[in-house]
Amino acid sequence: MISVTKVNKSFNDKHVLKDVSVDIPEGETIAIIGRSGSGKSVLMKHLIGLLSPDSGTVTVDGIDINAITYAELRRVRRNFGVLFQGGALFDSMNSFENVAFPLRTFTEMGEPEIEDVVKRCLAMVELEDVGAKLPSELSGGMQKRVALARAVALQPRYIIYDEPTSGLDPETSNTIDELIRNLADQLNVTSIVVTHDMHSVLNIADRAAFIYEGRMHWTGTIDELHRSDDQVLKAFVTANEYKIGLS
Amino acid sequence: MKFSNEIKVGLTIIVATVIFILGVRYFEDLPLFDSTYDLVAEFDNAGGLIGGNIVRVNGVVVGSVEDVYISEATGKVMVEFHVDPNIPVTEGTYATITGFDALGVVRMDLVLGPADGPKIPEGGMIAAGTGGDLMSDLTAQAPEMLEDVSSVVDQLNGVLAETNAMLSAPDSDFRQTLTAARGSVEQIEGLLASERDRIASILSNTDSLTADLNASLGEDGEAVAALIAQMEETMATLNEDLERFQETNEQLNELLQKLNNGEGTLGLLINDSSMYHRMDSTLSGLNGLIADFQSNPGRYLKEMKIVDLF
Amino acid sequence: MVKQTLDIVLNPLATLGRYSRLLFHAFGAVAELSIYRKNLWEQMVKSGVDSIPIVCMAAGFSGAVSTVQTAYQLVTPLIPRSTIGAIVVPSMILELGAVVTGFILAGRVGARIAAELGTMRVTEQIDALESMGLNSIGYLIVPRVLAGIIMFPVLYVAACFVGIGSGMLIGDLGGFVPAEEFLVGAREFFQPFDPIFGVIKSIVFGFLITSISCFKGYYTQGGAEGVGRSTTQAAVASCVFLLLADLVLAATLL
Repeated sequence: MISVTKVNKSFNDKHVLKDVSVDIPEGETIAIIGRSGSGKSVLMKHLIGLLSPDSGTVTVDGIDINAITYAELRRVRRNFGVLFQGGALFDSMNSFENVAFPLRTFTEMGEPEIEDVVKRCLAMVELEDVGAKLPSELSGGMQKRVALARAVALQPRYIIYDEPTSGLDPETSNTIDELIRNLADQLNVTSIVVTHDMHSVLNIADRAAFIYEGRMHWTGTIDELHRSDDQVLKAFVTANEYKIGLS
Repeated sequence: MKFSNEIKVGLTIIVATVIFILGVRYFEDLPLFDSTYDLVAEFDNAGGLIGGNIVRVNGVVVGSVEDVYISEATGKVMVEFHVDPNIPVTEGTYATITGFDALGVVRMDLVLGPADGPKIPEGGMIAAGTGGDLMSDLTAQAPEMLEDVSSVVDQLNGVLAETNAMLSAPDSDFRQTLTAARGSVEQIEGLLASERDRIASILSNTDSLTADLNASLGEDGEAVAALIAQMEETMATLNEDLERFQETNEQLNELLQKLNNGEGTLGLLINDSSMYHRMDSTLSGLNGLIADFQSNPGRYLKEMKIVDLF
Repeated sequence: MVKQTLDIVLNPLATLGRYSRLLFHAFGAVAELSIYRKNLWEQMVKSGVDSIPIVCMAAGFSGAVSTVQTAYQLVTPLIPRSTIGAIVVPSMILELGAVVTGFILAGRVGARIAAELGTMRVTEQIDALESMGLNSIGYLIVPRVLAGIIMFPVLYVAACFVGIGSGMLIGDLGGFVPAEEFLVGAREFFQPFDPIFGVIKSIVFGFLITSISCFKGYYTQGGAEGVGRSTTQAAVASCVFLLLADLVLAATLL
């Protein structure tokens, strides 16, 4: 359970997050939606303490992550797996080493065991054969899938996806969506998907939180989203459906 | 064969450390692998000696100075140094500091004691010997030399004055002494000519002395003693010359007496003024040379000045 | 106008503050070094072992040039030829060895570090490390700075060795001064503190170059262009502070 309460955040003179509050219950998949530059990614970084709020609190499992020491914060972060926008694979390591990295760093596993886990993770994203390849030799979609394998290697309780489908063709986007859904079902994790791709929201999310101009404009289930007559939300959803219609 | 990072780094660091230690020991004139033989010497004046300067025995480098400091107990200069352990530093060995501070070439020379004497133990004390430094010797000698030269000049001036007085005396008789005087003048001229050569040879001696000095400064403070000996020789030569001048003086005095007792006539001398002019010009030439030497000894001694050397 | 003037004073102070804070965090993370040990070895190879050829080349040339130029300037026959060794060797040990190494590594190591960390920053790899629960400063910066501190003296020794060697060789082959005389001069004027001072200098340079480059790279902003900017700034700032440190050290320790 993650709860964000009345978080404010400014960069220099720019007020990015204004009194943002949202609760993310255990086991659910929540989509944080909004236009580019609305503050979605900033909110996401608050969830794992990469940014700290000017005011307000972020609690993970009841712990205020901004009131604890760096060492404790890092322990909290080990509950998270994060899939960054560009994958953020370490480009000095090949795919296998990237996935093995958290295992080697944080577990006492022996090398055969690690190999076993890495193979399983890569198989889950249907990339068994790319272990020896460097990130630069992979396509953008493949990089994201390897990054996903790395994010889940330590079996986190929370997985955060930052724009998982942006910059990918619709088919690859669908594959990623499917992976996210499968992970949520198989591993029973809490997923937070930061996206502006409504297609993917409708595919995978249980609930949605709509950020508009730095404020939490609307929250509710997907059913409620369909029924909502909020003009701003409707405009955002419609614009996306129009795009989906085109593609 | 592929080496792991640990091996590469470890090997590099070890090689660098070995090079560093051996390199420093080499430049410090320490034997690369052997232990050293440490000694201490006590001096009144370090003369600019510092750590790192070399230590020699009979002109051979055998070690180097470790540290130079003032002893708190005695206020004397203590010089810690080390030498090749194979050097027989026996009882009776003494140390001197030589070389030029201004050039930064200061070194310590050891004069070894009798070879069959007992060896001084590690860390033992070595006495300071009396070693002059070249410049102080030179400066001590220079005024003496100048004094000698100026006494010669004084005497010559006296001679000239008497000659003038004699020449201007109206009642002296020159005629009879003229022949004698001519002979005397020729003698004087010959003497002066030979003296001129001698002065030239003195100067060339000085030149070669300076060359020696240059050579010795360039490579080696060793020749200093020899150089000073040579200087002393030069002084002796100068003294001899002075004696000769004195003889000349006496001869001139005789001549004057003859002139004073005179049987010749002054008129002839006046008519025949060429002798007077010749003598006058010769003497004034010599006078000029000596006056120049007196007022401007730098020109003849200049190569000995350290500032002009470098 | 007032604000601009104030910024000229305050911006460097703010930068210094951020730099100090980064170093403070880095020192705090030294205790976790055992986790990042593998990185340390890797950085020691990348910054140290791999830099040996270029450092040796630069030092070799500067040693040779010193000899030739010293010989060219010593025209008086009164000064013995061994003076060439007495000038080249101490200048190599005191100044050239460390500074040439420093400049070469400001370009080679400093730029690499800034580009690496800058790329990791803009592609969110640093965020990825942090999100896994790793101490990114401990993981990325501590091994790089430590590798600099450990390996720079090693490179300094290599530079001096090669520089003196090439100076001696050129002196001998070029007919300026026989190798024996060169060494006699070098030994006569050798000060035992010189190489120690050189090592101290190289340690300081190693720390400065790596820490400044880490700082520039770690706080890169603005995509690929930002990485380019950080890289340039890292190399330039490293060189400037290297010269500054050189002066400060010479003034305090000599």
